Order: sequence, then structure tokens, then C-alpha cells
Amino acid sequence: MSLEAEKHTDQLKSAASDEVAIAMSKVNKWFGDFHVLKDIDLSVFKGERIVICGPSGSGKSTLIRCINRLEEHQNGDIIVNGTTLDSNLKNIHAIRSDVGMVFQSFNLFPHLTVLENCTLAPIWVKNFTKSEAEATAMEYLERVKIPEQAAKYPGQLSGGQQQRVAIARSLCMNPQVMLFDEPTSALDPEMISEVLDVMFELAETGMTMLCVTHEMGFAKRVADRVIFMDFGEIVEQNTPEEFFENPKLDRTKLFLSQILSH
Amino acid sequence: MTDLAPDLDQGSKFTPKPDLPPPPNTTGVSGWLRYNLFNGVFNSVLTILSIIAILFLVKAFYEWAFVNAIWEASSRDECRISSTEIGTCWAGVNVWFTRFIYGRYADAEIWRINLAFIIFIIWMIPLWLPKVTSKIFIGLSAVLIYPFLAGYMFSGGERGWFMEVMIAFSLTCFLFVVIHALLCLMTGLGLYRWIVKISGFSKKNERQHKYPVIVVTLLSVVAVAFLIDDITFKYMSNNLWGGLFLTLVISGIAIASALPAGIILALGRRSKMAVIRVLCVAFIELFRSVPLITILFMATTMFPLFLPGGMVINKLASAIVAVCLFAAAYMAEVVRGGLQAIPKGQYEAAEAVGLTYWQATVLIVMPQALKFMIPNIVGNFMGLLKDTTLVSIIGLYDLLGMINAVSHDPKWIGLHHEPLFTAAVLFFIGCFAMSKYSQHLERSLGAGSHR
Repeated sequence: MSLEAEKHTDQLKSAASDEVAIAMSKVNKWFGDFHVLKDIDLSVFKGERIVICGPSGSGKSTLIRCINRLEEHQNGDIIVNGTTLDSNLKNIHAIRSDVGMVFQSFNLFPHLTVLENCTLAPIWVKNFTKSEAEATAMEYLERVKIPEQAAKYPGQLSGGQQQRVAIARSLCMNPQVMLFDEPTSALDPEMISEVLDVMFELAETGMTMLCVTHEMGFAKRVADRVIFMDFGEIVEQNTPEEFFENPKLDRTKLFLSQILSH
Repeated sequence: MTDLAPDLDQGSKFTPKPDLPPPPNTTGVSGWLRYNLFNGVFNSVLTILSIIAILFLVKAFYEWAFVNAIWEASSRDECRISSTEIGTCWAGVNVWFTRFIYGRYADAEIWRINLAFIIFIIWMIPLWLPKVTSKIFIGLSAVLIYPFLAGYMFSGGERGWFMEVMIAFSLTCFLFVVIHALLCLMTGLGLYRWIVKISGFSKKNERQHKYPVIVVTLLSVVAVAFLIDDITFKYMSNNLWGGLFLTLVISGIAIASALPAGIILALGRRSKMAVIRVLCVAFIELFRSVPLITILFMATTMFPLFLPGGMVINKLASAIVAVCLFAAAYMAEVVRGGLQAIPKGQYEAAEAVGLTYWQATVLIVMPQALKFMIPNIVGNFMGLLKDTTLVSIIGLYDLLGMINAVSHDPKWIGLHHEPLFTAAVLFFIGCFAMSKYSQHLERSLGAGSHR
């Protein structure tokens, strides 16, 4: 380990106790022979909103999926809220019940109603009683503005409504960190804004958010930091103003010109 | 400009065209007949020929089965003498019918079997009633608890303390299910809520609601155990069991155990742990590759040879175990097929909200997968019901065994067609009922979950 990396790890460890929500150091991952994540060093502070962008196949989804161990990293350290992510199932479950995740394809449970989707995890993971869980669920369904759909099944809702339910389902676990994996990519254009609105409001509550997205408007408006990834590496990271106005590397400029050209 | 204005006004008001009736002869009975049966000259000729053929067959069958049939006779010879035409000899079936259903079970004790089946049916009825809640508990109790009661009612005899407790528990469950169903129908509140309400716990925290229910259940079990303490049934050895009753016992146990065993094997086959996976694959492939009849012979004739001397294994028990293992192996592959239909995102979403492997499997994956599997599962169950007739070959008198027995009875020697026809009707009723139930299940489970 290089001196600089060691210094970084030390910094993370000292900061891990309070301000840092997620600390990743020297994280590497391979899919077979394919090196997806290369020496990722990243610390996310509490309340920080981070947008991750990059071309497809650059490892951005894999990066956030490593945080709640939907993907297993092969080496390096990931510390979430002071808990080290290793093969210990207890740690994994502790981290998962603290970290919410919203998927590109919603992944609601189609055999349960909207309300049951939201109450399932609190009842079984957090030992809430049914009425407590339902009260919490209705509160969050109101926050995502679809309390009237509570008794319906996911298949009866539009894509935008389903994604908002998915956000409410994650929030019901009262997470410290929310991960968004391209939450608007599978939506029709007129539904994107209703989901982004919910995410804006969530950002205003001070939630720590990591969001993989190509919605640059969203990045400009809420992000504290924009991270650009390519070939499994963090190529450039900066505040949104600097990132969009003065990208430092040619690769970043090319990417920005491609996605902002129309 | 002024000329255009009224036009624009008209254009902004859109009135849809009125609905017209469809062309004649495309809907209703005449439309259906036209489309399906008389669709062109060739098809019309085929239709008429088919109708004539069907009428001939039905007439021939009707004359054989009813017109020339002999209903009362004391032997097959008498049947032949009293009928000039070729007709059925239902008299033999008539005389033997009780044996077809109950085997060699003592006539005086047959009510026990009937009562046990009636209890089972009453136990299951609430599953059909939409107003009744907690159907999972009712279904599970019928599968897990009822066999203790039924087992004792069928075999009788002395019972140890374990059976005493289990029978009392079983009877209590039955009572609870009936009361629960009635309460749900009449008041809309289930038994659980009523107990909580009456005991005054409804104001307390929801977590404490289970205590009065547990107390009531325990007290009821004790009370029932005292009530039934003096009642003992006459011992009926299971080599007296037979007929449709035995067929239903074997296939019922096999059906009830096949699904859970199949689920466990299928999960094992998909497990990340190599040893479990290999064991499950080996079991499934072994039992799927061997004919059921071979397994039955192995279980009843070869397996006892390996046992230490003096140890005797009940033939019925070993046959049941053999059928169960066979059924489980087939069911495992059906379940695996259903599991593969569940998208990866469902597992990920379940993991991401913090559910454990077993929670995700039981709460998220299985309910969805089982719905896909229903047609295959029921198909398997129907196959199983019919496959159990093979136990007649190893000398158990199931329905088919009893039917063979008729033709060996000196009085009715050689009487094959009528008993076999009876068996076909009985199996058809059983299988058709299962098929209808599976369609009902598919419809009720499918409601709302997909667009």
C-alpha cells in the first residue's frame, strides 16, 4: 500500500465515527476476468448528495451495489456507518437495514399491495407491529404523494408511481443512506419529473444520497459532488458548478459534450 | 374570418360516433355455431358426420350401461341368464361397492372413515369462503395437524400420551377453524380478534395480544384431552385398509409431503453450498430415473432384507415412504422451474431491504413462484393419485386391488369391465375436482398482481 493510500485509510478511520457515512478504500472487484472496479477510494459524508455518472459499463452501478453487498467486492475495505462490510451475515444485514436502495426496474413485489410492499421489511426486519408499520408506511406514501394507491397492486400503477412506491418502501426502513441506481432510466419522459420531485424533496431533508443517473439537471440542482467514472475508475470528481463549467480532463469533456449536446 | 369562426367552434367540440350493433350472425349462439361448426361446406359435412358418430356411440353405451343392465343378482351366472342382450352386470359392482370404497375394513367401523373425511372437508371449506381470514393457518393446520386425528380414527387402539395430546390439539384446531369461520362470516372479525377483544387485551400493545390466545388454546387442548380420555376406538390393523380409502390415504400423504419436500430439494439444488447441492441433485436424479414400481419393490421386499433380524417394517408404511420420495423428486423439478421464473430483481430487492435468505424465500420468492407452478403441481398431484394404483402390484388392496379382487371372487369370477368402469369414474371425479380447484386457485391468486 502506498504512503498516500495509507494516509487516506487513516483519515477515513479517524473520521469513520461521526461525519463519514460510507468509506471505501482500495476497493477492487472483478466479474470473472473483467476488472470492474479499480482501486476505488471514496468517502461519503453524512448528509452529502453525490451523483455518479459515466458511460455504460464504467462500473457505476457495481460501485453502489457493492455498498449494500448486492455485489461482493474482492478486496479493499468498505465501512458503512462504522460497520465493516465483510462476509459476516450479521454485518451485512445491519448495513442493509440502514441503507435503502432504489432500482432502475423498481423491483416492487408484485404479489403484495403497495401498503404491504412498504410494511413487509419493517415488520420482519425491524419487528414493528402491523399497525406501527402501516402508520409509518402511510406517512411515507403521503410524502411520495400516492397515499390513495395504498390498496392497489404494483401492476396497476404507472412506472412513475411504482418508482415512488419503491422510494417509500426504502424510506420505511428509516435508512441513513439512500442508493439510487438509475431511478429514472426505465421511465417514460413525462414520468421522470414526478420521481425527480420526490428525490429533490428527499434531498432537502438532509438524507445522504448516492445517485447513479444521467439527469444532469438533477445533478446541478441537488448534488454536493459529481463523480465521473470510466473503466472502473473514478476519473474526476468535483462540485457540480466546477464539474460542468470547467471539466479538467479531456475524457470528461467528451462525455459531457455527448450527454449535453441535445 | 367571420365565416371561419363557427367552423372552429364546431371543430373544438368532439362528439364520438354512436356505437352500432355488430353484423348479424357474428355473436350469440348462431354466430358461435357458424364460426366453429358450419364454417364452409367441408366443415359442415364433418360436423354432421361427427354428430352421427357421437349419437351412435352414446346410444350403444346407453343400451349397454342402462337398458340391458342387470342391477340385482347374486352371481355373475345369474346376470347372464336373466339378460338376453349383452349388457352390464352392475349387480356385481353393487354388491362389492362398499368394498371398493373401504376395502376389508369392518362394516361396523366404517363410520370412522366417513367421519374423518367429513371433518377434513369441513376443515377445508373455509379456504373457499372469501370472507374468512387467516387462510394460511387453516390450510397449514389441515395438512400438519389433521393427520394425527385421521390416523387415530382410521387405526384406533390404545394411544400413548403423545397421540393423546396431538389428537386433543387436532380436535381443538378443528373446533377453532369452525368457530373462526363462523365468526368471520357473521361478524367479520376472526376468532383471534374476538379472543383479544373479550379478554380486554385490545387496549394493550399489539405485541401482547398473543398471550390470551395462547392461554385459551392451551386450556381448550387440556379440556378436550379430558373429554376424549375415555373414548377409544377398536383397533383396525392397516392390512384391513383398502379400496378408494387406501388410495386416498396413500396419495393424500404423498401429496401433502411432496410439496414441502420438493421445495426443500429445489432450494437445495440451487444452494451455493456444494455439498447440499450435490446431495439434492443426486437424490432427485436417482428417484426420477427409476420407475415407481421398482422403488415400491425395493422398499417392500429388498429393504427389509438389509434390516437386522426380527425387525419388521409395515408394508403400507414402506409403500407410503416410497411413493413420497418418488413424488418429492418430481415435485422438486416443478418447483425449480417455478423458481427460475422469478426475476433476479426480486431477490435483490428483498436483500436490499434487509430480509434474510429464508424470509426472502418464504415471503417474496415462493408465493410468486408457486403461482406459476400451480398447473404443473396439480398435474403432478393428479399423476400421483393415479400412480398410487401401482401399490396393488405389491399386494396392497387399494381401489385397483379391490377391483381385481372382484374378478377372483368365485361368484363374480371374470367380472372386469364394470368394476374397471366404476374405478374410472371414481378417478375421474377425483382428478377433475383437483383440476377445477387448481383453476380456481390460479384465478384467485392471479387477481390484481399482474396488469
